[in-house]
Amino acid sequence: MASYLESEPPSPGESSGDESQGVEATRICEKMKLNQRLAAKELVNTEAKYVHNLQLCASDIRSHLHELPQGDLDVIFSNIDDIIKVNSRFLKDLEKAGSEEEQISLLGNLFLEFQEEMENTYKVYCACYNQALALVETYRKVPKLQKVIHDVITALVPQACASGLSFLLVMPVQRVTRYPLLLQKILENTPPDDEAYEALQRATRAMQEVNSNINEYKRQKEIATKYNKLEHLTVRERLARINTHSISKKTLRLSQLFKQEAGIVTRTFLRIKPYECDLEMEGGAVQQYCCFTRDLHLLVFLEFKQRLERLVYHPLHHLSKALLGPQNLIKKRLDKLLDFERTEEKLAEMGSMTYEEEAIRHTYQALNSLLVSELPQFNQVAIQWLGQILNTLMALQRDLAQQVLQRAERELGQLPHSHVSDFDFRKLIEDTLDKTSAQLQSFCQNFQKVLPVPVRQPLQPAAERQVQALMSKYSPSKLYQVTSNISGSGNLALTLQKGQIVAVLQDRDIKGNTSRWLVDTGGYRGYVPAGKLEPYQVVPHDKPSMQSGSGDGFKFLPVETPRSSTHVAMPVFQVVAAYPFVARSNYEVSLQAGQSVTVLERQDKKGNPEWSLVEVNGQRGYVPSNFLVCVPSPTPWGWSLPTGDSSLSHM
Amino acid sequence: MSWIPFKIGQPKKQIVPKTVERDFEREYGKLQQLEDQTKKLQKDLKKSTDADLAMSKSAVKISSDLLSNPLCEQDQEFLNLVTALDTAMKRMDAFNQEKVNQIQKTVIEPLKKFGSVFPSLNMAVKRREQALQDYKRLQSKVEKYEEKEKTGPVLAKLHQVREELRPVKDDFEAKNRQLLEEMPRFYNSRLDYFQPSFESLIRAQMEMFRGQLAMELEIQEKKP
Repeated sequence: MASYLESEPPSPGESSGDESQGVEATRICEKMKLNQRLAAKELVNTEAKYVHNLQLCASDIRSHLHELPQGDLDVIFSNIDDIIKVNSRFLKDLEKAGSEEEQISLLGNLFLEFQEEMENTYKVYCACYNQALALVETYRKVPKLQKVIHDVITALVPQACASGLSFLLVMPVQRVTRYPLLLQKILENTPPDDEAYEALQRATRAMQEVNSNINEYKRQKEIATKYNKLEHLTVRERLARINTHSISKKTLRLSQLFKQEAGIVTRTFLRIKPYECDLEMEGGAVQQYCCFTRDLHLLVFLEFKQRLERLVYHPLHHLSKALLGPQNLIKKRLDKLLDFERTEEKLAEMGSMTYEEEAIRHTYQALNSLLVSELPQFNQVAIQWLGQILNTLMALQRDLAQQVLQRAERELGQLPHSHVSDFDFRKLIEDTLDKTSAQLQSFCQNFQKVLPVPVRQPLQPAAERQVQALMSKYSPSKLYQVTSNISGSGNLALTLQKGQIVAVLQDRDIKGNTSRWLVDTGGYRGYVPAGKLEPYQVVPHDKPSMQSGSGDGFKFLPVETPRSSTHVAMPVFQVVAAYPFVARSNYEVSLQAGQSVTVLERQDKKGNPEWSLVEVNGQRGYVPSNFLVCVPSPTPWGWSLPTGDSSLSHM
Repeated sequence: MSWIPFKIGQPKKQIVPKTVERDFEREYGKLQQLEDQTKKLQKDLKKSTDADLAMSKSAVKISSDLLSNPLCEQDQEFLNLVTALDTAMKRMDAFNQEKVNQIQKTVIEPLKKFGSVFPSLNMAVKRREQALQDYKRLQSKVEKYEEKEKTGPVLAKLHQVREELRPVKDDFEAKNRQLLEEMPRFYNSRLDYFQPSFESLIRAQMEMFRGQLAMELEIQEKKP
């Protein structure tokens, strides 16, 4: 608190003495008093004008600016109403003073009285002032809005139209900084022994304090915004404030889960659209199901998902973003703490600090006090927020359940079994399913039963007779047919042709090898590989169709194939000469290719099967058996055997 | 019938009448479509049930994560809220599981069984095709011989081949007839077969949500 008397013309010990000096002194005194009064008047007048302008700005201008969104208006004008209230009261009290003398003494006390209130209101306004300015700037860039603002201002406050809204907004800021100056001026012109001096002095000091507090407050707020913008993370661990940390971690995880859940739900759940499958099913439960699922997918689930996103996911997202700021600040505080401690050390050593170090100290202190004061509130709000979100989640699920239920009941009501209780329904379903699966089984078997109908080569008459002979000796179940040519090698091995019928005597050989079976070909016995035998179904002669139901299990044999019967019934006559043959002796007879012959005997007098006694064209004679063909067999297997040690004997 | 190698110069004779072939193709086509759709439906149902389960599992995870949050120890109200949420999620999971089981039993299993008929069907159709092939081959042989001069050996051959042809032809016709009969029957049986499945699908959903709703209301009543 510098001495203001120094600005006065020095007159320390002038009370006594010189007339001229005394006159001067009084003159100076008079001047001072005049100045003082003038200053006081100035203060009061400007105050009145100030309040008036504020009111204009707040009520009239603001109400005309309804083009702008309400939130922005709030930011621009912030707590101007509060300021107006405080200042109008202040003004009223100021004007209460009667004479000018009183006014001055009143001034000081009044200021002291209003100090706290002013501080509170103005500090809020000043803190928001920057933001308001920025907003006005952005509006300046939008021509349409700018014009609107301009018009309104021109209409109401003509002298301010040049600089726009910012001119009006800056008034409170200017005012509050002016107070100390005005007060100082008054104080300057007040002699120290004036009764109001003390009050004035205190008032001036108070207003200066107000100003520095406002600055401090502003700095606090600005630190928050400044550091919130910083994105870089420090490597150092955070110490305290586990609350915020864990809330943030959990909410991050939560939002991640929700993202995943929503992602999964949308990706697969909603993608499956069974109602789009066209199974060509007209009526029945399918209709209901189709309607039901279509409803579900297009309406209910979509709605649920949207609500989930809007009411749960986005808030969570915002919450986790909001938590980032404080975290950054906490980190910064730690950094600043280290700086602060460094300056403390320096202070302890040297006792003074440079300006930068002062600044560092202030920063740290500002940050610290900000965090200490605001973090608990913040935590509280965050917890509440989280709780709210969780509640919403549950409510959403409840709604979903309700909706699905409503629809399901509606659809189900149209189905036959709607009245059946759940438990009974399940049993019903199980029974039905059992039945239908049995049905399916039968279908399956049907399809499988289409076994290849073995091309049943009708037997040669000779073979037929052989079969008969075999059958007479053995039971029909022992008869096997050779599936492919067997060439025997080794002891007692038979060489057989495809299609030959044999009877199995034993299904293993002497050594116990089950892959070689002992068979009887009707005349000869020997071993053949078992793999080349398949069971032979004896076809009864006289039946025209081969409808055998059991055993092989072929279901659909041609019903009207008389082939076996025709062939069996025509054993001998359908023998045709395949190649021409020239008779070389009278025992032989000539043949022409394609000629139909009648076979009388299949062997010659000596029993040689290579010659057959045939009758052709009325002539009888022997012809080589090979030259005869008996349809339909592709190879004349019944007739002759190529290899030497085969043993098919004819009867 | 495109697998029969086209003999250049020989006009492709339609051995099997066109109408029959067309009928067969149509029926078989329908069944093939049915098979594809059954498979697709099976896959989709499986995906849907998996997604269902995944959803409820993640819900349970959310709530148990929240429970383990140290915040719960500090704030009693929060703790209550989170425990309620946790119970809700766990119960929902149980319901969901049950629903999935139900669906598994009544829809997916029958679908699988239905699908298992198709391989045998396809085999049967293949056999029919083979028989057709044989039939055509022999038929062309017969015709070839018929066109030749009627000499002795040719005649003999002709007879032989004719006789060969007959069983093959009968076999083919038998197969054809059988399949033509069975396929539509099978196709039509699917309607009755699947009705209960669909009904149970709706029911299962309904049960689950009913249970869930009851539980949620209960929890809501408990809250202040």
